[in-house]
Amino acid sequence: MTEQKRARIKADKLDTGFGSFRNVEVTIGKVIDEDWDEPMGPTPMPGVTTLRDWDHKLLTKYEPSYMPACQLCCLCTFGKCDLTGGKRGACGLDIKAQSARIVLAACNIGCAAHLAHARHLVDHLIHEFGPRYQLTQGEGVDIEAPVSRLVTGIRPRTLDDASSILDYCETQLTHTLSAVHTGQEGSWIDFESKAFHAGMVDQVGMEIADLVQISTMGFPQSDPEAPLVEAGMASMDQSKANILCIGHNVVPAAAITDYAMEHNLQNKLDVSGICCTAWDITRHDAKAKIVGPISWQLRFVRSGIADVVVVDEQCIRTDIAQHAQKVNAPVIATCDKSCMGLPDRTNDDVDDIVADLVSFKVPGVFIGDHNKVGEVVVKTAIAVKPKRKGKTSLPSKKKIQELAQACRQCSECRRACPNDQPIMEAVLAAQEANFGPLGDVYDECIGCARCESACPNEYDLHSWMVTAAKDRWMNESYLVRTGRGAIKDTEIRAVGQPVVFGEIPGVIAHVGCANYPDGGRAIHDMCEEFAQRRFIIVLSGCAAMTVGTIKDDEGKSIYERRSGHFDAGGVVNVGSCVSNPHIAGAAIKIASIFAKRNLRGNYEEIADYIHNRVGAVGISWGAMSQKAASIASGFWRLGVPVIVGPHGAKYRRMLLGRADRAKDWMVYDARTGNEVQIAPGPEHLFYAVENMEECMVLTAKLAIRPNDTARGRAIKLSHYIDLHERYKGYFPDDVHTFIRRETDIPITLKDKIHAQMKENKWKERPIPDPTLLKRMVFGGNGGSK
Amino acid sequence: MEVASKMMRAEPWQTAEVCGPTKAQELKKPVVVGALLKKAKHPLLIVGANALTEKTRKKSMIDYFIELSTAAKIPVVATSNTIKAFKEKNFDNVYSHGVMEIAGKLQDPDWMVAPKKGPHDLVMTFGYPYYMEWLMLSALINFAPQIKTITLGRYFQPHATWSFPNLKKQKWNDALKEILSILGGTK
Repeated sequence: MTEQKRARIKADKLDTGFGSFRNVEVTIGKVIDEDWDEPMGPTPMPGVTTLRDWDHKLLTKYEPSYMPACQLCCLCTFGKCDLTGGKRGACGLDIKAQSARIVLAACNIGCAAHLAHARHLVDHLIHEFGPRYQLTQGEGVDIEAPVSRLVTGIRPRTLDDASSILDYCETQLTHTLSAVHTGQEGSWIDFESKAFHAGMVDQVGMEIADLVQISTMGFPQSDPEAPLVEAGMASMDQSKANILCIGHNVVPAAAITDYAMEHNLQNKLDVSGICCTAWDITRHDAKAKIVGPISWQLRFVRSGIADVVVVDEQCIRTDIAQHAQKVNAPVIATCDKSCMGLPDRTNDDVDDIVADLVSFKVPGVFIGDHNKVGEVVVKTAIAVKPKRKGKTSLPSKKKIQELAQACRQCSECRRACPNDQPIMEAVLAAQEANFGPLGDVYDECIGCARCESACPNEYDLHSWMVTAAKDRWMNESYLVRTGRGAIKDTEIRAVGQPVVFGEIPGVIAHVGCANYPDGGRAIHDMCEEFAQRRFIIVLSGCAAMTVGTIKDDEGKSIYERRSGHFDAGGVVNVGSCVSNPHIAGAAIKIASIFAKRNLRGNYEEIADYIHNRVGAVGISWGAMSQKAASIASGFWRLGVPVIVGPHGAKYRRMLLGRADRAKDWMVYDARTGNEVQIAPGPEHLFYAVENMEECMVLTAKLAIRPNDTARGRAIKLSHYIDLHERYKGYFPDDVHTFIRRETDIPITLKDKIHAQMKENKWKERPIPDPTLLKRMVFGGNGGSK
Repeated sequence: MEVASKMMRAEPWQTAEVCGPTKAQELKKPVVVGALLKKAKHPLLIVGANALTEKTRKKSMIDYFIELSTAAKIPVVATSNTIKAFKEKNFDNVYSHGVMEIAGKLQDPDWMVAPKKGPHDLVMTFGYPYYMEWLMLSALINFAPQIKTITLGRYFQPHATWSFPNLKKQKWNDALKEILSILGGTK
């Protein structure tokens, strides 16, 4: 398999015997990356079924437990089909396969969102910089793009390489998407395998997206001391024109800050972001600000602070234009995926567009040219600010009290609330000018505004909460460390051994959205707890913002208190959603740098290595989106367990191990080829916890790996036992299953563990060189599997 | 006991949580719970962390379930940190499993919480966020046909086999009291 890399010649003018041509671009065949001596592994650019055997191993060990949200299928005109009680639909699917099909559909959607984002970035940047622009993740990173190397066998060195890798990803996504069609796949395990494939492809697409923006847009490059940036609703300077950017694709937001800088208008503007665009705009320009996570869109727009709202793509409130219109904030849609019904003004004169927006002749426009976006937005914000006069749609407390008198006490607001918040009770309290309960609801509100849609009186209940809590959010300001990008090879070299041996007890990644069950404090508390225990904490996306909202007694956020180095006790923000592969990449690089395993096109071996040796655990406390599903799926295929908060149960499928079935916990000892019994770890591959307490205990437990050294196992057990005793109130009764030899026993707990071992007739077990792949047995004692 | 006549409708408490062609039978009379428990060979009570903060009248739900478990000789699975409250009250007939774990294990028709205490044919649940219990019950109704489920919360759970309709607190308190009384616990 050669690398699929095209050579291109581009000329402004070309004179030939056939005539004279302008703007000519010629592609010539394929070029092999001749100066990369790493041998190609067995599975470069794997197809949908190439890694099926690996998937089936994982899916046999961690069998799905489905919880269908719907017992019908209504995807084709055969239906609706009733799948209850073992019935099959007209196409032949039963509810188990249909449930797996829904999992695949979610992963496809998430993968598509990232791939389309990556494709837009790459095409845009090729247009700006040319296809041969060199890619880099920064100093100290020789193994750039480890996920792409692992999956495709290509090391992307130019934007053109990045484009070639996306070609592969897009082809794979087409296949996995097609499998969802009626009359294609019929087996739950193969739907699941394809979901893993979509997740793996998603990791590649995200990696490419972040690699190209890091390389071209002035982002921190593997910088553990990436800038601390201002965040929170109070961080905006309201004497300036405020521009709010929502979404994930930084190109339009960067065009805005670039235009402002080029025209010396920075002192007249504050540019801020919500969701991942917030991270990426601060990576581009550290003077930009972060409003907060995805769930803060409504509260900020309704506050009236933003003079212009710019939307790009993914996780935008699709009715944001209507809310912005109520505060006279023009909306600029910039992405072909989310035009918001606004008129296309891409080809119009800038001054004409600005005039129409500032006069409120149109509530917003779609502009597909990002450079034009920068100019239009800046000019509009400066001109509209004095006309808007900070118009807000938040009602006064007096108005709330007056309106609340007519509450029908129907409970529809509470019934619509995902978190079952006592909204009606808070409204009734407001009748008596008691706004405390509404403020309490604000603290746990995820900003969905379903309560408003449900209210028969059409109360703007979310706004009522925001008004009630105004004193809090008006003073909400904190510092967060913006995304650093990849982990340096030198950092991996330093921690590789202690992570694999278990002496650094684990790498915990908090990623994902802000669909929290009870506010976001739990994420901070979990990060702090495990950082104190010398785990490495890695963060991205909205979770990374939320962690920063909690201050200590000295007013410092966790980012001010803790190092951004990838080391024990560090709190490491890699960046936005598309930065997640830096986390997977760190695990992959441990296999490469510490264990000297080849990465190139060698997915199965590296996944097997990570699954058995690297104590990594992903947590998405507020997972909401299909993107979060595909991100998780990329980690599942690498054998990394993922925990989600309670709302994550709505992904409707867990991947559960059975600790009580010894036969499920066998590995080959690569030294001997013998099958040996191991402890049930990691016990699950995907799990929705009930609350933070369960998450704490499970996180420590899921960090246990078969390869832990005795010292590493003892350290990991100490944390598990300590947290179990704290939250469950007793010494865990399964400790003996994790003891292989006497030396695994934490010394201070020897008596209790010995008693449990005796009671359970414990026998010493070898510590294997663990692998699920027989072909990895030394001496080739195992054929192909 | 006049609970039945004043009950609210049997429809999902969270508005959009509709499921499919079938939905739970409405528990109109608490005596039905007693009859079902007497008929069951190996019932199981699953209690989540909301039980740590909820009360029925002045009694903590943990105390209530200890009484219920003792009276009916039903083992308890306490999920997450709920088990700590049971242990602190020196209650022993309790086992620790995660909520998703127990939903998965119960799909195995041979699984039992402890030797000779199963396989289970009836499960009672309480103490979860509405949507989480809804999903747990979905796993059981779709993939554990050997198990009947009763949910003891105030709100109608369509995926259960039997569920109270959405009840006002007073009616729910009355119902729980009557169930305990039927099973021989304190009134």
